Amino acid sequence: MTQALAHLADGALRARHAECMEAIAQNQSREAFAELFDFFAPRLKSFLLRLGATDGEAEDLVQEVMVTVWKKAGLYDRRQASVSTWIFRVARNRRIDLQRRSASRPELEADDPMLLPQAEEQPDERVERSQMEESVRAGLARLPEEQLVLLQAAFYEGLSHSEIAEKFNLPLGTVKSRIRLAFGRLRGSLEEPD
Amino acid sequence: MDGTRFSELYSAYAAGRLDPAFALMVETQGALRGDVRRSVAASEMIAGALLEHESRAPLSAGALDRAFAAIDALAEDDIRVPAGDAEISALPEPLRALALEAAGQGGWKLATPGIRRLPLMSGGDLEMELYRIEPGARVPRHTHSGAEYTLVVSGGFSDEAGGYGPGDMIVKGPDDVHQPVGDADGVCFALAIRDGGLKFTGMMGVVQRLLGG
Repeated sequence: MTQALAHLADGALRARHAECMEAIAQNQSREAFAELFDFFAPRLKSFLLRLGATDGEAEDLVQEVMVTVWKKAGLYDRRQASVSTWIFRVARNRRIDLQRRSASRPELEADDPMLLPQAEEQPDERVERSQMEESVRAGLARLPEEQLVLLQAAFYEGLSHSEIAEKFNLPLGTVKSRIRLAFGRLRGSLEEPD
Repeated sequence: MDGTRFSELYSAYAAGRLDPAFALMVETQGALRGDVRRSVAASEMIAGALLEHESRAPLSAGALDRAFAAIDALAEDDIRVPAGDAEISALPEPLRALALEAAGQGGWKLATPGIRRLPLMSGGDLEMELYRIEPGARVPRHTHSGAEYTLVVSGGFSDEAGGYGPGDMIVKGPDDVHQPVGDADGVCFALAIRDGGLKFTGMMGVVQRLLGG
């Protein structure tokens, strides 16, 4: 799996996806949209099925996310995030939004604020973000399998540390220290892990 | 609360596993604090990179055509901006949108003189409210049936244990008695979640242990 992740460190795919977003924003390019759809829609569906969505729910959510990609492509900024991170956030926020509604909120029509640039973001944070992305990608490609599977469970599937300990039959302390170590490595030296 | 110690909270948030009330609190804290923003951003980058690595699940026939049909049907901007309230408009997103809407529906309630509260989420296991505390206003001394998690959004207040400013998160358990007083130099907005004394398992249990421990 570690070898299979080597492509994550390679920026060519990321650059291509960013170009597609810009082509959608500037020229309403349907070809660019179809290319992103072909790459992301089946992966999003797989991700949602993994989280327990039914086939129909997954399909509907994928449709909503991809239409949002079309509508909000103008807000995408390649200095802030890779397209995959951006799309993951759109899908994640859409799921949270659905939960919020079912938690007795009336329907929210406002633009999804997580897609908008944060006013509080400092100018140098953008530079820092691209450096962090490089660091995260390079780190993921180098991680030993034993740390990678734990990161995937925590950051991608959203399991708690005790759920991960149970799933992999590891002591809780081992799970915590491996994840802390791996997370610290991926973030590079931006902050000291505690 | 620093950006690394709570990585479990931020990873759960990034992956969309956190209860909506706590998700909003993390988002608001991230809007206030660079270290939290960086932790969340790194968590999301990991998730995004792993999405590229995800296997492909076949979509139903005509899925792309369906997306194009939805795109063709998009109405020209139907973005509705809620009626303004200058103070609430100055709050960070995503709290701002939620609070503007709740306020627009006449949600503000008078708590005690100088203190108003705006219910944002209720009906589930958790209740979330935005508090507006005027300078010097005193919240009546109170205890809690469960835990109360408070994030200072703007301004500040102090209680018997100390003073708090924007980005600070405070946890009070059922045995804690306190009497917050708004700082003298301006209006304080604070976001509070109460869990009603329920003991949670799973991710909510994680939140209780992280914040209470």
